[in-house]
Amino acid sequence: MAAIDIPEVLKFIDSTPPFSGLTSVQQKQLLGGVELTYVRQGEKLNLEGTRATLHLIRRGACEIRSAKGGLVDKLADGDCFGVSSVLEQNPDGLQVVVLEDSLIYRFQKEGFQTLLQENEEFALFFAHTRSSRLRKLSRAHATDLATPVLQLSTSISQIMARNLITASVTDTVQQAASVMTDARVSSILVLEKDRLVGIVTDRDLRSRVLAVGASANLPLCDVMTHAPASIDPRSLVMHAQTLMSEKNIHHLPVVESDHTPVGMITAADLLRHQELSPLLLINQINRQTDITSLREVCQQLTNLIVNLILTDMKTTDIGSVIAAISDSLTRRIIELGIERYGTAPFAFQFLVFGSQARKDQSLGSDQDNGMMLSQEPTPEQAEYFAKLAQFICDGLAQCGIRSCPGDIMASNKKWRLTQEGWKKAFANWVEASSPSSLLNASIFFDIRCVYGDENGVTELIQDMQSRVAKTSLFLATLTRTATASKPPIGFFRNFLLESSGEHKHQLDLKHQGLALINDLARIYGLGCKRYHVATKDRLEQAAREKLMGLDIARNLMDAWDGLNELRLQAQRQHWQTTGEPSAYLDPTELSSLERKHLKSTFAIIADGQSAALQRFARGYA
Amino acid sequence: MPKRIFQAIDSWRERREEQTKPWHEHSYFVLDMETTGLDPKQHQVVSLGWVLIENGAVQLDTAQHLLLDSAEIDDVSVGIHMITDSDVMEQGRRHESVLRYLRQIMKDKVLVVHYSPLELGFLKSLWQTQPMPALAFDWIDTMQVEMQRRSRAQEIIGDGGYRLPACRERYGLPDYPGHDALTDAMATAELLLAQVAYFNDHEPSLQELVRIGGGRARLSSNNKTS
Repeated sequence: MAAIDIPEVLKFIDSTPPFSGLTSVQQKQLLGGVELTYVRQGEKLNLEGTRATLHLIRRGACEIRSAKGGLVDKLADGDCFGVSSVLEQNPDGLQVVVLEDSLIYRFQKEGFQTLLQENEEFALFFAHTRSSRLRKLSRAHATDLATPVLQLSTSISQIMARNLITASVTDTVQQAASVMTDARVSSILVLEKDRLVGIVTDRDLRSRVLAVGASANLPLCDVMTHAPASIDPRSLVMHAQTLMSEKNIHHLPVVESDHTPVGMITAADLLRHQELSPLLLINQINRQTDITSLREVCQQLTNLIVNLILTDMKTTDIGSVIAAISDSLTRRIIELGIERYGTAPFAFQFLVFGSQARKDQSLGSDQDNGMMLSQEPTPEQAEYFAKLAQFICDGLAQCGIRSCPGDIMASNKKWRLTQEGWKKAFANWVEASSPSSLLNASIFFDIRCVYGDENGVTELIQDMQSRVAKTSLFLATLTRTATASKPPIGFFRNFLLESSGEHKHQLDLKHQGLALINDLARIYGLGCKRYHVATKDRLEQAAREKLMGLDIARNLMDAWDGLNELRLQAQRQHWQTTGEPSAYLDPTELSSLERKHLKSTFAIIADGQSAALQRFARGYA
Repeated sequence: MPKRIFQAIDSWRERREEQTKPWHEHSYFVLDMETTGLDPKQHQVVSLGWVLIENGAVQLDTAQHLLLDSAEIDDVSVGIHMITDSDVMEQGRRHESVLRYLRQIMKDKVLVVHYSPLELGFLKSLWQTQPMPALAFDWIDTMQVEMQRRSRAQEIIGDGGYRLPACRERYGLPDYPGHDALTDAMATAELLLAQVAYFNDHEPSLQELVRIGGGRARLSSNNKTS
């Protein structure tokens, strides 16, 4: 008897990559002498001596930290660690800390080492894990050192807000409050002869006016803080920080030596400066009152994304952050449009398609959107929506989300339809099933509502799905169309042949890799009973509904993550060197290991494609 | 006679010293049995599953699953355990050799079970079926350990809250759909590891574990008195 004969152990090993790819003989060999331990949250694992070996998390969560405590990786069920302690006695001093109570398999070192030598694919998996952790480790070091010092020594003038919101001492509380509300700020500077004499904050209005039942007609000089603390624009950020924490205040006027105000700095500004945070960016977006200022705010977006990539956020999380920001931006622009053209004559929904719907945008994604109107508009009403849509699409373009080259935008009359109109459009795509119309329409099948009542969109999706379920030819055609573009499996061979010529090959990670997985996920997603729009959710759902093997689904999800990471890294590098977020990869910059890994990624996509053809297109060939 | 008394005192002292050692220095025999019913006097053992804990870790290589040949299989136990007569015919072992083997493995180990009245009762009745040398051992019942722990913490656990899956869930252990003897023995072993990890923030000695949820038992055959 051995571990391999315990059904629960076997089941787990057989569904966890890279072990699932082993023959049962190899699994048996590896499982010889496995020990199972339970470790409590907060404990540090000993990886020395006989414990310097491969570990596999059966249930729980751990994190790998650098010797200095920087986060290198987070691990959960089915993840491995301890590989570098087997190969090189853990030269980087990595530590494993238990985040949640964990059940952990500890393998015998010898069996693992033998298998590493015998099985190339198995070895490759661990080599890749290791190299990606090393890359993260080096970045953890770089960011540990560089940022805090730099940040604190920036001068105030670089980060202060320059648009001053001011009032005079004789203005009433009511007037000041209305100015503050319009400008969406939480404080107002009180001036006398252009000199700063006081400050009134939201909190002052609460505690000194409302709470004591004072009149809204009081002059500001009665409620303001006189001679407030202030700071010189040439001071450093750390001075502002000290001052604020000493005086326990959140607003600090920036003044010249003669008390002329030149700017304002808030605790939130300091925080934002220290960590360009998505939440603060969204707050800023919601506070802007015109497209020009929105555009300025959105210029931070690229930096934010680059920072997120640098801080090793997971690629799916980066996707959701960008989606949250684009959604807020879209909504804010719609609000501004409504302020400008007046309230809509009746309810409508703003729809997004493609990458924004799937929440996997990256740097430089374009807009794909449309409108759903709750009734057939009269010519005047149609005119209103045309203007509004034009305003929204122009606004998005100005804020850095480029116009769609295929004109799939709400500003295009074709994509401002009633629910009935959208249902018909989908019915046409589903029932006509001509490959050429599908090729351009597939993007519409990734759909999400960002403004207006979601129910209408849910109904539309249900209608579309029931049509898909009735028309089996549709998925067959979609599959054949989607699998017509193949992953560049022979790419590296060609690359080697032609590297010296003038046609230096570049790899397009988006169209030759990610898009193919998105296409596959869409096919399976539409075959599922439950609609999901994000690629990984669709793959997971397909595995759950047993349309697709768990193995293939997991492999595709891993491939998608891997490609996305590469793509974001490539974009970041291009952005930092050329200012253009290109997703092309220069293969000369890849290590031989990364090349091998890419190769196996493409092979996974090819497998996925043939499985899809088998499942959906058999009999329609 | 004094010699025998001395010997007894010596072995008692030795055992006491053994018991005060940290728990991980002992070996544990974690056992689960499938039976044709719940009464050791009427029902029989169908199969035995076990795994050992050594050095504080479950040693997966030691896992064993044995079917016994003399058991009668009724429809109910087929339903519960998915074991059929033909399984028993194919894999069944002769009673005698199984018991000798069992005794050999259990020697010098601490027995671990979930719900001791049942498992100890069936072990005792197994020992009655064959002339066997006696065997004494310490035992730990993970259900009792759990009850003690929860009552000390003044937690109220509802009906069925001390069944194996419910206990495991409180420690974040995975749900095992199978309920054969081996899977349940594995599940019990993991539960013990978790309980030990949560033991008052220090590593318990065997004595401490036995005190809150265990005891000492002796198995012997009919022709020798116990």
